[in-house]
Amino acid sequence: MIKITEEDFSLDEMIKRARSKDAGAIVTFLGTVRDDGMERMEVEAFLEVAQAELEAIREEAMSRFHLMAAEVVHRTGSLAVGENIVAIVCSAAHREEAFSGCRYIIEELKKRAPLWKKELGEKSERWVGQT
Amino acid sequence: MLVKILSFAGFREILGKEREQEIKESATVQELLEVLAQVNARFKEAAFDESGELRDYVLLMINRKRIDPRQDLLRPLQEGDELAIFPPLAGG
Repeated sequence: MIKITEEDFSLDEMIKRARSKDAGAIVTFLGTVRDDGMERMEVEAFLEVAQAELEAIREEAMSRFHLMAAEVVHRTGSLAVGENIVAIVCSAAHREEAFSGCRYIIEELKKRAPLWKKELGEKSERWVGQT
Repeated sequence: MLVKILSFAGFREILGKEREQEIKESATVQELLEVLAQVNARFKEAAFDESGELRDYVLLMINRKRIDPRQDLLRPLQEGDELAIFPPLAGG
């Protein structure tokens, strides 16, 4: 499942969906808002394009690393320090493929999915990556 | 002719999320960006450097496909085309 949503998600539910009798490994990645001297973060998406790009990345990971399942959820909207931003869950027969698939998805997501983050502090704000 | 402009992140704060712009027939991407710079000084400052070159961090899509600003700025636009303007991606 691929989802871009303002709502928080349950990693347990994602793991539950990725479980299967042929899967001997489930790897998860959970990205959270780090306190870089800010109060909160705003996440924005070019929704339709980001959704399609994440679908494509998921398909690539599934076939390259022989995954049994791959789930990706990315949040948008206003997030406080410590809150969830993104979760990726990959299941495969063995841990090697599950680790590789999970890493591939997060790295490609960062390169290809049109998503942006704005860090907001008490006195300043900045878009990550825009100088 | 009319084209649609979608802006994201810092560029959305300057141009608004979505707008339509009237431009001359077969205007290029470069010409459209210059029209936007003429009507919006903040956009001009954010998107172009002092010598008038498009800044490196300006990324563009036409009809939801990325274009290369170093090669495709002279591409002519068509009625109804959608140009998306945004800074470097920062998801995850």
